[in-house]
Amino acid sequence: MSPYILFVMLSSLGLGTTLTFTSSHWLLAWMGLEINTLAIIPLMTNKHHPRAVEAATKYFLTQAAAAAILLFASIYNAWYSGQWFIQDMSSPVSTLMTLAIAIKLGIAPMHFWLPEVMQGISISTGLILVTWQKLAPLALLMQISHNIKPELLIILGLMSTIIGGWGGLNQTQIRKIMAYSSIAHLGWIISILHFMPALAMINLFIYLIMTITMFMTFNLLNSPTINTLAMNWSKSPILAATSALALLSLGGLPPLTGFMPKWLIIQELTNQELAPTATLLALSALLSLFFYLRLSYSLSLTIMPNTHPQTLNWNMKTTTPLPLSLMMMMTLTMLPITPTIISLF
Amino acid sequence: MLKLLIPTVMMFPMIWMLKPKWLWSMTTTHSLLIASYSLSLFKYHSTAQWSNMSFTMATDMISTPLIILTCWLLPLMILASQNHITTEPINRQRTYITLLTSLQLLLIMAFSATEIILFYIMFEATLIPTLIIITRWGNQTERLNAGTYFLFYTLAGSLPLLVALLSLYKSTGSLSMISMFMNNSISSDTWTNSLLWAACLMAFLVKMPLYGVHLWLPKAHVEAPIAGSMILAAVLLKLGGYGMIRMTLILEPATKSLAYPFIILALWGIIMTGSICMRQSDMKSLIAYSSVSHMGLVASGILIQTTWGFTGAIILMIAHGLTSSALFCLANTTYERTNSRTLLLARGMQIILPLMATWWFIMSLMNMALPPLPNLMGELIIMVSLFNWSSWTILLTGTGTLITATYSLYLYLSSQRGPAPDNILLIEPTHTREHLLLILHIIPMVMLMIKPEFIWGWCW
Amino acid sequence: MVNFVNIFREHWVNVLVPLGFVIGVYLDRRNDEKLTAFRNKSLLYSRDLKPGEEVTWK
Repeated sequence: MSPYILFVMLSSLGLGTTLTFTSSHWLLAWMGLEINTLAIIPLMTNKHHPRAVEAATKYFLTQAAAAAILLFASIYNAWYSGQWFIQDMSSPVSTLMTLAIAIKLGIAPMHFWLPEVMQGISISTGLILVTWQKLAPLALLMQISHNIKPELLIILGLMSTIIGGWGGLNQTQIRKIMAYSSIAHLGWIISILHFMPALAMINLFIYLIMTITMFMTFNLLNSPTINTLAMNWSKSPILAATSALALLSLGGLPPLTGFMPKWLIIQELTNQELAPTATLLALSALLSLFFYLRLSYSLSLTIMPNTHPQTLNWNMKTTTPLPLSLMMMMTLTMLPITPTIISLF
Repeated sequence: MLKLLIPTVMMFPMIWMLKPKWLWSMTTTHSLLIASYSLSLFKYHSTAQWSNMSFTMATDMISTPLIILTCWLLPLMILASQNHITTEPINRQRTYITLLTSLQLLLIMAFSATEIILFYIMFEATLIPTLIIITRWGNQTERLNAGTYFLFYTLAGSLPLLVALLSLYKSTGSLSMISMFMNNSISSDTWTNSLLWAACLMAFLVKMPLYGVHLWLPKAHVEAPIAGSMILAAVLLKLGGYGMIRMTLILEPATKSLAYPFIILALWGIIMTGSICMRQSDMKSLIAYSSVSHMGLVASGILIQTTWGFTGAIILMIAHGLTSSALFCLANTTYERTNSRTLLLARGMQIILPLMATWWFIMSLMNMALPPLPNLMGELIIMVSLFNWSSWTILLTGTGTLITATYSLYLYLSSQRGPAPDNILLIEPTHTREHLLLILHIIPMVMLMIKPEFIWGWCW
Repeated sequence: MVNFVNIFREHWVNVLVPLGFVIGVYLDRRNDEKLTAFRNKSLLYSRDLKPGEEVTWK
């Protein structure tokens, strides 16, 4: 892709999200989402092959459908209440709106497009898809969160964590596994959304850090499947060891950063008299932990006596870039500074 | 507690900057230094329960012996794993020692935490180094399975504990161990309270492990390298017992009626796992099952909620920690010579390695709790307090003792006595390192025989 | 003549753990002082220490 076009696409990607962030009017917010969707499709088909086209088509169809429902819901809301403000959402419409945004985010019963799309595109575009593309819909959801029924959000959240964990169990493709991991994490985010939007923000922040770390690692190691993952200890042993820990951090094991949002969310849910829900959420994290553990087994815990499962790529990058090292540090060691993190949000 | 924690932290740069030829000797020396300094914790400054107070940490008569056991175990683990790790590249050796040291750091923090959430986080944090030790340095492919079992059994038990702790925090406003006994305790009149009670104890019962949720333990022990087995048997299981002693303080009225099924399981487990030991062909598996059997006694001693029960539990935990760790070391010496854990392949070792047979003999006697060893004291105190609780338990505990004696003798006789098998032609002589290792296990036991008050807990 | 520089270069790492002790003990002492600073100032517990009496708790 020509750098000029890439620049235009990336800046409209930024523009769309920013437009949604800054608007208080449903129409502008919808417009931001549409700009966003249209800008990422050329990036998806950057390497032009049938799988990428398929992924882009699937992405376009689901996002367009979701945007249509969102537009419908906002017009209905305008007709019903006579104004377009995002924060004043009447209750029956907000359910429809939540479902539309859930399709955009890939929340559990509406998640089927996400792993398929992720499988078709490159790792770096996948990174945009599971991080930047989530921001605008989540911003909308956060603004209307006080009008949504908490039952709806909790049911969606529970389904996401369980299905996200379950779906990843039988996958061997890294990108699909990461897509399911994203579904599970979004489940945690939206289950707390109604009670404490700030906590959802913290969770989103930590999720972004951990996911960016993992995607950068996989991008650097250039490994699309679990099998190719198993050779990376010879490319970059320290990165292999630390990214195994980063995976456990994604799974939420203390004393790594990933435990912090889980701990705080469980605490808030318990405070809201929702201890059974909190227990279910916590136990569903074990499902995701299983595939993270499997990844870290093949990444660094089973290396020595094995021979390589396949031939090495001959031009390998071995130096770890500085941003990755910084993100890795944040992925692993932020639990002790939890109070500082809380005070930021 | 910083006087132990900062030196332990300083071990990390030291491990990575030492010259390769000094690596093992110097890490052993320094960890031994830390261990001997940790003995100063035995000086209880206050007449109250807690000493060495700081913002989130303190020690008392329950945690001090366990902290010292943890510190003591590190040099022993380093000594024990020298032989099989020195063949690896130097960076992996350093990583291995770093993992062992990080376990010590986390365990000290776990045992000295006064805030239960801090204890919980450290309790969970020990999972990661142990998991890496088991799955990275284990010998067979089944180690991955064992690691998964280990992680998921523990987590499935301890995530409900987190929810329970946070809801307790919501109702009482504090989770400090120091003031915990003053909190409103849980009565067993509603379903939710019963569930809360179970959630509070299940994590520790799984870690202990209670018979019925013990399946992860023999797997983990069999697959782990020697240092992993040692720390698992000696200290990590004791996290369960320690957590139970701390948690039961606030569960007081509910425990009386709710503990029955767990006490029954624990007592029944003594007999069942003892019987499993008697038909075991795998040396490490036998020792692991004998741990489950001993821990059953500890669990029931804690669950009946008497001072004597607690005292017996803590004595047995310390004694069993040293004994089982020593037994694993012995099994490892045999394993390094015959390359097999099978009891059948290592018969008649007494003729070949006579001094090692002496160690086997002493350790078997320790395991079957011969007087005047602390093992006996612990078992007797728990049995007496159980007898006081219900006289029928003597049937189970008595049979348990009998079975323990039987399989300890079985372990000793089948591995040491009899004619030497023909398959052992060329065998390495024993090393001073191994004798030192075993002596360092026995010395604390002998010392505790002379002054057992150190591990009497609150009875002192 | 023993080569001190060489010995230092070889063995300076061994200083770290004893240094840790020193720092740890110092910080512990300071913490003890902080904890005991107000002990004798409370109305409830204040009393005169006998000459040569140790502090009652640390």
